[in-house]
Formats: sequence, structure tokens, C-alpha cells
Amino acid sequence: MDLYTISFYMFAVLLLGSAIVVVFSRNIVRAAFALMITLLSIAAFYVLMMADFVGIVQLLLYVGGILVLILFGVMLTNRQISVDIREGAIQTIPAVIVTSTIGGILAGAIWSTAWPMREAARSVAATAPVIGEMFLTTYLLPFEVASVLLLVALVGAALIARRERKS
Amino acid sequence: MVESVLQNLTYFVPETALVVTFCAVLLADVIFKGRPRIPWTIGLLGLIVAGVTAFQQTGLNRPVFDLMIVVDPFAVFFKVIVAATAILIYLMSLWSDEVKASARRMGEYAALLVSATLGMFLMAGATNLLMIVLALELTGLSSYVLSGYTKEASDSSEASLKYILFGAVSTGIMLYGISLLYGLTGATDLIGIRLALEGQAMTHTPMLLISSIMILAGFGYKISAVPFHFWTPDVYEGAPITVTAFLSVASKAAGFALMIRFLVSTATPSLGVDVMAVVQTFEWPKLIAIMSVLTMTLGNIVAIWQNNLKRLLAYSSIAHAGTMLMAVTVFSQNGVAAVLIYFVVYLFMNLGAFYLVMLVAGATGSEDIDSYKGLGHRAPLVGVSLVIFLISLTGLPPTAGFIGKLYVFSALLDAQWIWLAIVGALNSVISLYYYVRVIRNMYLRDPDSAPAPVVLTGAQTVLLMVFLVPTLVLGVYFAPLVDWAHASVALFGIR
Amino acid sequence: MVPLSHYLFLSAVLFMTGAVGVLTRRNAIIVFMSIELMLNSVNLTLVAFSSFLGNVTGQMLVFFVMTVAAAEAAVGLAIIIAIYRRKQTVNLDEINLLKW
Repeated sequence: MDLYTISFYMFAVLLLGSAIVVVFSRNIVRAAFALMITLLSIAAFYVLMMADFVGIVQLLLYVGGILVLILFGVMLTNRQISVDIREGAIQTIPAVIVTSTIGGILAGAIWSTAWPMREAARSVAATAPVIGEMFLTTYLLPFEVASVLLLVALVGAALIARRERKS
Repeated sequence: MVESVLQNLTYFVPETALVVTFCAVLLADVIFKGRPRIPWTIGLLGLIVAGVTAFQQTGLNRPVFDLMIVVDPFAVFFKVIVAATAILIYLMSLWSDEVKASARRMGEYAALLVSATLGMFLMAGATNLLMIVLALELTGLSSYVLSGYTKEASDSSEASLKYILFGAVSTGIMLYGISLLYGLTGATDLIGIRLALEGQAMTHTPMLLISSIMILAGFGYKISAVPFHFWTPDVYEGAPITVTAFLSVASKAAGFALMIRFLVSTATPSLGVDVMAVVQTFEWPKLIAIMSVLTMTLGNIVAIWQNNLKRLLAYSSIAHAGTMLMAVTVFSQNGVAAVLIYFVVYLFMNLGAFYLVMLVAGATGSEDIDSYKGLGHRAPLVGVSLVIFLISLTGLPPTAGFIGKLYVFSALLDAQWIWLAIVGALNSVISLYYYVRVIRNMYLRDPDSAPAPVVLTGAQTVLLMVFLVPTLVLGVYFAPLVDWAHASVALFGIR
Repeated sequence: MVPLSHYLFLSAVLFMTGAVGVLTRRNAIIVFMSIELMLNSVNLTLVAFSSFLGNVTGQMLVFFVMTVAAAEAAVGLAIIIAIYRRKQTVNLDEINLLKW
């Protein structure tokens, strides 16, 4: 067991444990904080796989952006009832059975597949320059489309959420 | 680098026009506050420019922006359909009470119609899984917001919540499939995937199957095929009627374009290779045939019980998607051409039906079938037109709907899918039942109380003719349409 | 060294956990969090393949998946807030999700 393997399993336990809390927690604020731990451990995996830039963006965008957005959603919708809103989960057993069957099939397929792998492909080089260049060359069109997508989301969210002034 | 971008941009005029229009509409909405007609006009002009420039691309066949997207006759055909639908919806919105009720937000409505159109244009041409996702998402986000547009109506924003939840889950499933397919092939563009699969024989078939099914789930959601249809009736009922009509034609057309392109590029014989790995390991046609039977049958049977005409048309549009899936099953040039023909026909008859439902709802305040009692005598033009649209939706001659069904069924029979053709024919009979119920109400039942009159203005009648004339003319003179459809499929690499 | 399949199993389990959340939870915000779990498992798979294939494409996709996730979250939460303002609930049972 080298350090890499130990940290892999440590973060795996952290990841799955917190994900289970997100899904089954009856307290929505606790679920949101568990989601933060999940997202942070995902970032740790990116770093383990030498994807430094993706890891940093995960921290900035997911933990710093999307999670904060979700927390705002939680706070805004709970304000008028109470902070500790309790929500019941139903049909848990059948759902778990169905998804674990599908997951089992998936795991079997992962196991039986000979993934095309290159040996020793991993390097410790920084990925940011390569990624930055690709954004402005091969991925120029998706990059621009993504910016339109975000503009649409901005306009749409404002349109839906803003209060209608009575004229 | 800059030269190649500029060169690619010359093949990207329609999409560029839409992006510019989208921004211009938003700006105009801010600058000319309180005069929603100005952004509306800019949007309409932009859509016309996009439609015309897209039509001018007929005959081109080349990939642009590093295989991200392709300009080929197939994409052009669907772009023209989408642009035409968007323009007609724009005109319909002029008389929509639901849209006018929140005139303050009409600029955003106009902008989001343009951005949805942009997403569908990209869907028609996308040849890279990444572009496919982004295009689907651009279309999706615009439609989520549009279907919640009349947020005063309580079912409208619930419809859009349901829509976005189902949409986000299906995007998630599709993305997982894409990530697995990327792992198998190391590529995300459809050509690269095909080459990788051809090179590797079949060492990983179960995974290939799982990932393809997951990706198809994303397309199935867009065309509302069973079992991914749950969102459709509620969204179609909750959304403003113009948006419903837009989604039922344009969004479906773009979804079909994507699905056919994905299946054809990755799963059918081409480039001199006899049978592709995906087809060989799994009988795709059978899976799609079963999906089409379920979609048709469910749509038709549930439509029988509907008393709201808008909801009835929603279920009937699920059934029509099933009919078109039947033609996809064939995996041949005839089959794909039949889908294209069907879409043109479907555009006019379905939009026409929705248009009349909107006008009648505007006059009587109800979409209930009961409120159509005696309508044929009160408003002869509206009554006769609605009868023609409904007959066409059933697929009876001499309307355009008959031509659409004719080509679908002849493609099926050519390919020896006899049982599927029989199921399809039985479904047409079921659909006759519920369409006739509306006609019976209009002509053979007396209204319960003194009903509001339905009077069309001159401009409204002109727009009605735009839907009505093609529905009748295409029923007798359809050769150009058929030629265009075949030409659009010819260069597509299937036999 | 941890083999590729371990990363894939891990993300498959994460994806299925998210799916359980989508199927069982009735709070729209928690459903959104579960969808985020699913999208994160997609990203984990992509980075794993990218790293083991020595091919940066997978990492490029991750950024776009994040964009999509952010856009969906923004619009979704806006819709939730609009509904909440009128109905004072974010529970999907009262919003009739699977009625057909």
C-alpha cells in the first residue's frame, strides 16, 4: 500500500459516505453540506489523477459557485417555514433494488471490458497550457456555444425568478 | 488560425445570424422599454435571415470547426423546417392572449425563441458528442424557461419544473453514456468513434451497448418516445400554446435529426465496411421498432380519454413521434426520407391545429372539447379548416397527412416490416376515433349555452391559409417535396 | 497504483447513488443535488479516462459538463423559487410529478 493507494481509498470512503448523506439525509441543510464534502473529494481525485486545472476549476466553480447557488435556494425556500425542514423519502427499497441491479450490470460490463489503455501515459506536466490552447483552437465553437448557453441561463433565470411589479 | 476561423464562419452564417439576433433582441428589449413590438420585429427579421441563409446552403457538404459540426443537405433540411416553424410561431404569438398578458416580458420571450432555434440549428448539424450535448442543452434551457413563461398560470411553472428535472436527469444519463463511449474509443466526434470501433473488433460489446442505450435515452427524451415521455403531456398542457406548438414540431424535428445522425454515423454500414460493430452485436432496429410501437400505442390510447383539446393534441404528437420512429426502424434511405417528408407535412397540419385551438381559446376562453360544440355552424371557416387539419393528422386522403403516412408505410413494406406496418395501420384507426370525436362535437352537437362568437380578422385568416393551403396542396402535388427529401438523404452515407 | 477499473467502479456507484436520490426524494432541491452527484460521476469518469488514455479530450469535456450543470442549476433553482413563492412548497408530491 503506497501513499497513492491509501489516499485513493480514503477519499473513496469520504466521497461515497457523503454522497449517501446527500441522498438520504432528512435535513436539507445537512445534505447541502454533505454535497460540499462530496465535491471536495471529487477535486481530490482530480489531483490524484494529475488533472490539476480541472481540480482547481472544480473548487472554484462547483464548490464556490453551484453549491453556493444551491444553498441560496435552500435558504430562500425555507425562510418562511423553518430552518429544519423534514422531508420524508418514499419508495426507497424498490428504487435501491432497481438501481443496484442496473449498477450491477454496469459493474459487470466495466469488469469484462478490455479498456484501451496506453502504458505510462501519466505525466506530472501542468495541464493548463494545453487546455487553454485547445479552448481557442479545436474547441472554439463549443466554447462560444457554452457562452451563449450561459447567457440564456442568465436571462431565463432572471425572467422566471423576478417578481412581477404590479402596474 | 484566424484564417481558418474566418473560413469556417462563411459556412456558419445562419447560426451567426441567430446569435447576433439573440443579443440584438435582448438589447432592444432594454433600450426600447415598454415597446415590445421592436424586439419582436428584430427577432422575426433575424429568423427570416437565418432561414434564408440556411436554405442557401443547400447542396453544401462539409465539416466545419474541426468536425464539431457539419453543413450537409440533411442538416439544411432540418434547419429550414426549424426556421419555418419558428417564423410561424412568431406570427402566431401576435394573437396569443397568453403571450400578450405579460407584454412586459415579450422581449425575453422573443429572445428565447431565437436561442431555442439556435440550439435546434446546432442539433441538426452536430457531429461531435460534445456539440450534441451543448446543442441539446441550449434548446432545453430555452424551452424550460419558455414553458414557464406565463408564470401567473399555476400549472405553467410546475410544467417547467417537471420539464427541467426530467431534462437534467436525461442529460445526466446521456453524459454518462458519452463518457463511457469516450473511454471505449478515445474520441468524441462521430467519425472518430466509428473509425475506432471499426479498428477494434468486438472486445467490449456489453459496454458499447450500455453506453449507446444511455445516449439514446437523451434523444428519446427530446422526441418524447416511451418510456421517456412522462414530461410531455404536462409540459404541453401547462406551456403557452405557441410554445407547445413550437416544441411539438421544431424540438422534435431537431431531436429526430440528432438521433438519425447518431444512429447512421455510428451504427450502419458505410465507408465500405459491411456491418458495423454496434449493429452486429445488437439488433437496433428491433429495439427502435418496439419503442415506436409503445410510443404510438400509448399516445393514441391515452388521447382517447382527453377532454382538453390541447392535451389531446399533446398525446397525438407523442403518437406521431411513434409513427416517425417506425420509419427510422427501417434504417434505409427510404425510411429516413419518409421521416423528412412526414416532418414537412406534420409542420403545417400540427401548427394549423394548434393555431385554431389558440384562436378558439382566445374567443371562448376554453380549450375544452365541449366548447367546440356547434362551432362548425357558428364559424364555418374555422370549423372546416379544423376538420381538414384533423383529417390530415389522421392520415386520410386527400390531405398532406396521407402522403406522410404513405411514404412511412411504403418504406416499411419495402423492408419487409409487415407486422410493424399492421400495428401502425391499427393505430391510425384508433387516432381516427378521437379526431372524429372533435369533428362530431363541432357539427352534430348543439352548444350548451349561448357561446362567444369566433371571428377571424383579415390577418388571422391569411396566417390560417399559410397552414391550410400546404396541407391541401401537398396532398395532391408532393413530387418536389419527395425529391427534396431524397436529395437531402442521398449524400448521407446510407444505402 | 490504482487501476482504471477502480475509478470506474467508484464513479458508477456515485452515479447510482445520485439515481436513487432522483427516484426517491420528493424535495426538488435535493433532487437537484442528486443530479449534481450524477454529473460529478460523469466528470470523474471522464477525467479517469483522460488520464489513463493520455488524451486531454476528456478533461475538455469536463469543463463543458460543469457549464451545463451550472446553467441547469441556475434555471432550475429560479423555477423552484418561483413555485415556492406561490405555493409555499418545494415538495414534488404536491406538484404531481409522474401524473400521466
